[in-house]
Amino acid sequence: MRTTLKLAAMLSLVVLTASAPVAAPLASTVAIGPTFQSMSRLAFGPDGVLYVADTSAASIVAVDLGTQPGAAGTKDIAGVDARIAALLGTDAKEIVVTDLAVHPKTRHSYISVMRGTGADARPALVRVDGAGALSLVATEALKFTMVSLPNPVPNPTTGRSNRSQAITDMAFLDGRLYVAGLSNEEFSSKFWSVPYPFASADNGTSVEIYHGSHGRLETSSPVYSFVPTRVNGQPTLIAGYLCTPLVRFPVGDLKPGAKVMGTTIAELGNGNRPIDMILYKKNGKEFLLMSNTSRGVMKISTDGFGSATGITTQIKDKAGVGYETVASMTGIEQLDLLDATHSIVLARTPAGLNLQAVVLP
Amino acid sequence: MKFQGAFALRCLVLAFILAAACGTPSTPISLSIVPASDAGSAHVKVSGLSSSELSALRASPPPADVWLALLSVRVAGVDAAQPAVTGAYMVGSEDVTFTPRFPFDPGRSYDVAFDPSKLPVPRRDAVVRASLALPNVERVPSVVVTRVLPTSEVVPENLLRMYIEFSKPMGRASGLPFVHLLDNRGQDVREPFLPLDVEFWNPEHTRFTLFFDPGRVKRGILPNEQMGRALVVGRRYTVVVDAAWRDAQGAPLKSEYRQQFRVGPADNHPIALQNWRITAPRAGGRDPLIVSFPDPLDHGLLSRALGVGRAAGGVVTGTARIDPGETRWNFIPDAVWSAGAYEVVVLGVLEDVAGNQIDKPFEVDMFKRIDTTSKPSERRLKFDVR
Repeated sequence: MRTTLKLAAMLSLVVLTASAPVAAPLASTVAIGPTFQSMSRLAFGPDGVLYVADTSAASIVAVDLGTQPGAAGTKDIAGVDARIAALLGTDAKEIVVTDLAVHPKTRHSYISVMRGTGADARPALVRVDGAGALSLVATEALKFTMVSLPNPVPNPTTGRSNRSQAITDMAFLDGRLYVAGLSNEEFSSKFWSVPYPFASADNGTSVEIYHGSHGRLETSSPVYSFVPTRVNGQPTLIAGYLCTPLVRFPVGDLKPGAKVMGTTIAELGNGNRPIDMILYKKNGKEFLLMSNTSRGVMKISTDGFGSATGITTQIKDKAGVGYETVASMTGIEQLDLLDATHSIVLARTPAGLNLQAVVLP
Repeated sequence: MKFQGAFALRCLVLAFILAAACGTPSTPISLSIVPASDAGSAHVKVSGLSSSELSALRASPPPADVWLALLSVRVAGVDAAQPAVTGAYMVGSEDVTFTPRFPFDPGRSYDVAFDPSKLPVPRRDAVVRASLALPNVERVPSVVVTRVLPTSEVVPENLLRMYIEFSKPMGRASGLPFVHLLDNRGQDVREPFLPLDVEFWNPEHTRFTLFFDPGRVKRGILPNEQMGRALVVGRRYTVVVDAAWRDAQGAPLKSEYRQQFRVGPADNHPIALQNWRITAPRAGGRDPLIVSFPDPLDHGLLSRALGVGRAAGGVVTGTARIDPGETRWNFIPDAVWSAGAYEVVVLGVLEDVAGNQIDKPFEVDMFKRIDTTSKPSERRLKFDVR
């Protein structure tokens, strides 16, 4: 991002006279009724503020859900995709579920979907409560603030840009929202962070890793899922990449504009992409639960996260901190922590998508 | 429950009033679907209610669950346990309407039920039911694939990405199932592209980005050793885009699209700016500035990463064109060139078709010293206009 901003500064006269969009992120004041172009990733802060990534608008909206009715918790719903489609007046084939997140206090599940696949596709946020009631969240009545992610200005010489930004994951830690993303042009990884209440997103930190299974190679492969935690008392992001290296980034290193080399603490196997990660405690020990596209759900003890030395030599397939596969969890498309003893998943079955609580392994 | 009790009490009062006021038989209730117009969105209309019945509904708006019992709209064919369509009820001067929160799908049937027994003053009529649908919209195919980038006849074995360009905006459905790569025997290449759950469209939805699986592009990585690179040097391939891919209006493409290319050796070299050639224009005209590269550059990044400025400061605005093959960038200024010193500004984001950057190849030997600072933000190549 830094590169583009420099060019933007150099060409600032033209940008101003042409009234072209600028790269500086914009933070908004509190308003009512956010308008979404899309909803992709969801994340909750500990106080129940819901962060919604609107990829089409290159922005993140923080929504104050206020008091939402309904029994606490989330009840299992088989074929939840068909039920959501019915609520939205269409067929299950016409909706795309984009994320699942659990409210930290009410334990309601929030599911973001896109209704329709054409130009008229619209986002919707659906809530499931402890009685299994499914309702559309009336966002038009909710308070919100918004922040735009830094995005390069169009080429000021030609006015061209076909770049768009996808957000792969978001998580909240110590008053800041961390965001990972990748673009439709550069094949590289970027972390942003923004304090909440929103001020402005920083210019992002490029993160690179040693990927042991790539062997003697440095890669800028995209971060696909990450979870904030503390390792040896230090705020840390644990990130999962394509081909599944697990990488440790001390939050203190993620300075705007810097290039940071993470420490690869595990190689969990090739031909795979992480989907979601959650942290939980069981019998006094902490574990990371990670769902994947082709290697199932992995349970990983975080005991070794602090002491693991980085993998810097070629390995054949797997190395570093170990894991066990949770054989009972299959077809997992979305995963979040429901409560102290359960995860909540959206699992693909031949009959459709099931929303179900699963005892933490 | 308290609220519903109060509602029932008000209805009882109204019943007495209406019973005194009305002595005429009630009009049959009918249900219809009204297409969207300048007056509003498509909605379901309930006609045949008396002015007294409408007044009663207005005077004492039912809570959501009573509305639902009175008038429900469901996607046809779903079982009764599925939720009704969410939307807004409105009582007008002549009818009651239900407008869905999301527009009705054209051609889709909706089962509508109106239960007169749930009116504030209940009618003893049976439930009125209708299956209603907006007219189906005929989707006429009009969109074509205009080209697949890179356009060069030969691409390196470690090609990192392709762009598919369309004549008009496309829909949001995943594009991957509609793109195939055929080898020289006409056989599908197995999983050549990276399966991501985000779709890489440009903001106008007219350009779709496909990334080749980096696990098969990079050397020494297991998928590459097991499956081999998707592209093999010396072979010919065909990219096929299925006509079934739907545009933003829901219509399929006008036709299937095919584009052939040949695969050359892998390109593991960084972009070397010293090998670029600049052909400077003459002062006093609007001849193009031409920048030529020895190897094809990534079309998307090339469109964004090159600009022209005056050496003394300030930008030169104009129009850029990338020649087929992506080895030449032409720039025509908006105003005539004036004599002086200029610069081609090259942003550090620029990559070639294999992901190599300026002075940094896509694959880096990790035992060499790695620079952990950000790369210079941009490079400037000087040229003079005389």
